[in-house]
Order: sequence, then C-alpha cells, then structure tokens
Amino acid sequence: MNITSFAFLCFFAALLVVYYIVPKKTQWGILLLASVGFFCVSGEPWLIIYPIATITVIYGGALYIHRVKEQKKKQIALSLIVVLCVSLLCVLKYFHLGLLAPLGISFYTLTLLGYLIDVYYELGEPETNILKLALFGYYFPTMISGPIIRYRDMKEQLFVAHPLQYQNVTYGMQRMVWGFFKKLVISERMGLVVDTVFNNYTVHSGFTVVIAAVCFTFQLYTDFSGCMDIVIGASETLGIILPENFDTPFFSRNISEYWRRWHITLGIWLKDYLFYPLLRTKFFTNLPKKLKAKCGKKTAKRITTYTAMLILWFTIGFWHGGVWKYIIGSGLLHWFYIVSGEVLEPVWKKLKTMFHIKEENKGFIFFQQIRTFVLVTIGLVFFRAENVKAACIMLGSIFKSWNPEIFWNGAVFDLGLDWIEFTIAIVSLLILLVVSRLQQKESIRARVARQKLPVRWILFYALLFYVILLGNYGPGYTAAEFIYQGF
Amino acid sequence: MSREEVFEKLNEVFRDVFDEEDITVTETTTADDIEDWDSLEHINLMAAVEQEFGIKFTMGQIVTMKNVGEMATIILEKLA
Repeated sequence: MNITSFAFLCFFAALLVVYYIVPKKTQWGILLLASVGFFCVSGEPWLIIYPIATITVIYGGALYIHRVKEQKKKQIALSLIVVLCVSLLCVLKYFHLGLLAPLGISFYTLTLLGYLIDVYYELGEPETNILKLALFGYYFPTMISGPIIRYRDMKEQLFVAHPLQYQNVTYGMQRMVWGFFKKLVISERMGLVVDTVFNNYTVHSGFTVVIAAVCFTFQLYTDFSGCMDIVIGASETLGIILPENFDTPFFSRNISEYWRRWHITLGIWLKDYLFYPLLRTKFFTNLPKKLKAKCGKKTAKRITTYTAMLILWFTIGFWHGGVWKYIIGSGLLHWFYIVSGEVLEPVWKKLKTMFHIKEENKGFIFFQQIRTFVLVTIGLVFFRAENVKAACIMLGSIFKSWNPEIFWNGAVFDLGLDWIEFTIAIVSLLILLVVSRLQQKESIRARVARQKLPVRWILFYALLFYVILLGNYGPGYTAAEFIYQGF
Repeated sequence: MSREEVFEKLNEVFRDVFDEEDITVTETTTADDIEDWDSLEHINLMAAVEQEFGIKFTMGQIVTMKNVGEMATIILEKLA
C-alpha cells in the first residue's frame, strides 16, 4: 500500500478513529495489528515470516546476551545474530537472486540490530514482551523507509497511553499535507524530466543532461523527505514523535555537514554501530601507533580515520542496493569528497587568504552551498543511471555540446513538462526553498500556530488544495512508488 | 584523584587532541562548544582520555556520553 494512495488515507483515517476510542491500554496493540495489516496488504502476506523470524531471533538473543555473564559468550551470540541478519538481508536484497524481499527489510534489520547491540552495550534492559518488540521493529510508519528508530528513545512513547490531543492531530496532519506537497507536486513532476533523459541518455547532452541531473536531486530529496514528512506526521497524530531524518541538507557548506543533515538516522546508526566499533578494534587502534614512526602523529591519525571511513562509505553505498552505481554514487565518491577536502585544506586556506575571502561572508557561504549541491548531484547521476558506465557517459556528454539555446527555443519543454507544468514545478520549488529558509530560523509550525485562526486555516487549505489540484497522481491515480522504499 | 584533578588532566588531553592551547573544559562542555569535536575526533578523544587515565570506556559509554561532566564521573568511577 503506497502512502500517497487513497487506500492508505482510508486505512489511516480508520486507524485514527479506532486508536482513540479503544481503551488506552490497548493502543499499542492496535498499532501492532495495523502494522501487520499494513505489511500484509503491501505485498505478499507470507513474506511476514521473515520479519517474524528476525524478531524472534533478536528477542531471544537480547535476553540471552543480557542474562549470560561471560563476555565471550555475549560476544559470540551477538556476532552470530548480526551475521545471520546481515546475510539474510544480503541474500534477499543485494545479491539479486530473484527472491522476494519483505517490505522495509533494510530498515527493520538495522532498527532491530541497533536494539540488540544496545543491549550488548548495556544501554538498557531488554524487552521481555515479544509483541512489544515486534511493534518497535515493525511500527508501520517507520517500516516503509525509516527513520531508523532507537528502542531506548522510543520505548517511553510506543507503549504508553496517548489521549487525543488537538495539537498532535493538527500538527501531524499539516506535516502530512506538506509531505504530499513535496511528493506529489514536486517529486512526481521532476520524475517526468528525469525519466525522459535518463532512460534515453545516449541522445541527450549538454544542458539537457544538467537539467535532468538537477531534477533528479530535487526528485530524490522531495520524494524521500516528503515521505518522512508523511510518516512523521502520521505518527504525530497518534501521539508518537519520531526522530527527524532531514535538516535542510542542501544548505550544508560541505559534504560532511551534508551527511549530518541527510538521512540523519542512518548516519547516527552507522556511527554508533559500525564506525565507532570499527575504530575501536585492535587493528584500528594499533594502526596509528605503527604509522606514527613513519609519518608523524597527525598523518598517522588521518590515515587511520580515512581507512575506516572507506569501509563506512562502502557500506553506505552497498546498503543502497549492492551494485557499483550505488557503491560509487552514494558511497565512495562521497568518501573521496570528504577526504580530498581535508587533505587539500591547506590549499583552500591559502586560496582564501589570497582572495581575501572571509569564512562567514554570505557570498562565500552561498558558493559553498552550491558546491555541495553540485557534488551531491554528480553522485546522484550514478545513483539514478542504469549503471556506472551510463553515468560516466552522461557526465561526459555534458561537455560534448554547448546548447544554452534549449532555454529559449522551447526544447526544454519537450522533456516531459510543458511550460505550464514547468512553471508549477518552479513555483513549487520556490515555495519549498522559502519554507526551508524560514525553517532554519524557527519551526515553521510554531510560526503558523501563532497566527490567528482564519489565517491558519487559510494557509492549511491553500496548501491542501494546491496539492489536490496540482498533485501529479500518475496513471490510474496511484502515485509512483517512493524511491527510497526500494532500499 | 579529585574531580578537580580529573578536569585538570582532561584540559591537557583536550588541548593536545584538538591542538588548541586555550581550551578549558567544564562540567557542561559538550561537542557543540568545541569546533573540531565531531564524530571523528570523538573516538580519538576517547582513546587519548583512556590512555591518560589508564582506563577503558565501554562502547555504551562512548556513544551516550553527553558532556565532559559525565565523562569525569565515569573516569572517577573507573578509578575508584
């Protein structure tokens, strides 16, 4: 069931009613039922055996790790379960063996492993009720494409009574409409241009490719962050506040910052459960000591971190799909950006003093933001292209022809959006830009809430009708699947 | 070792790790207060603190430590 479909809205409305009329003690049970139902109608129902198996193993494993005294046994149990879950994920998802993968497997695997590792880290007691753990692992808003939640942050919220609160419901619904706006009005439109060019990449070159690449960056961002707005909003109406996954990433001044603001919960997960443990292994703690004599303390430290980062970025890329275009476009290329940025820092510093550029100069910040956007967009060409070769051909073809005339001879309107549609897309992107800018200063909803009632409702309905009228529902009125749902 | 002494030693470690002579940490100092204290440097800092005090943090402590005050408390517990 797609979360922009009419069916989902009906499902959600029904859930909302039931959720607030049942005895408060059973609310979490209703959520579990809804999550199972959501899973079953979204694909092959029998696939639920995979999450059931995973949950059972994680549940038992956590209890065992908590109870057993010897560190060695804890370690063995943890390693076995991690290997088991990760192999299952790889087999179903990344090795392309033609097997059906259950919905959200790459998200629930990380969520549940995080819980297990937390128990191993002794960051809280294990859950003794398997059904409660199941709700945590498969809570339907997060099952689709995150955010990746942490048991220690969520347990206070998931299982307690949630009385009906006006603010939760209105804030949540506003947030959902905002997500629909991003997804249906912007992302779907961008997708038309992207498909036209990427699917026939051999015939396009120059600015046409640039437009398509930029459109894809917007498409992916509005698709994924729009999906997050919808699920975080939906969860908020149920009184459960989920962690944020995006913080206006394209205002980042460099790639490291971008990754702290894009898919935030994945970044935190990988840092806590992969990167830090990796850097604490014998190999990585001894590496700087070995290198110190040869190249000095600073360089030794750097080489160590960059090597660990290489493994981290490879994993991020691999997690997105297990093939090279993702490993490069969402992984290694970003590693290269960050490392080269750091290695060349003395050069940048010199250039900055040479040209008298001040760090906090507005123009310079803007330049840095554009640079981030360009670098990310290059990576996303790999992400969207058929394969690495196609991505390289496309990037090369940008320089093969100089065709600025497409902007005035109307050729730009042959890419899937006519001039009306194009205008709608640009205006919508501007709305997104303005709201994002304002959001940086202060929560937009707090700002809206301060307005008088009529203003609030006018804003809400204006956005709602904007979405209803201009939403691009695609053929048969079901929106295309969320791009990130596949991951 | 007293809490003050722990902080004195921590100041030295911080100055060394972040290469800045005028760092002075307090109970409430967090990663937000020190420019270079990001997730990468965090693990280097942990290693340096461990070496200075001859202790070992658990992974759980490393990922949940909220400020320098909490760090000092853990150090004192380990030394006791």
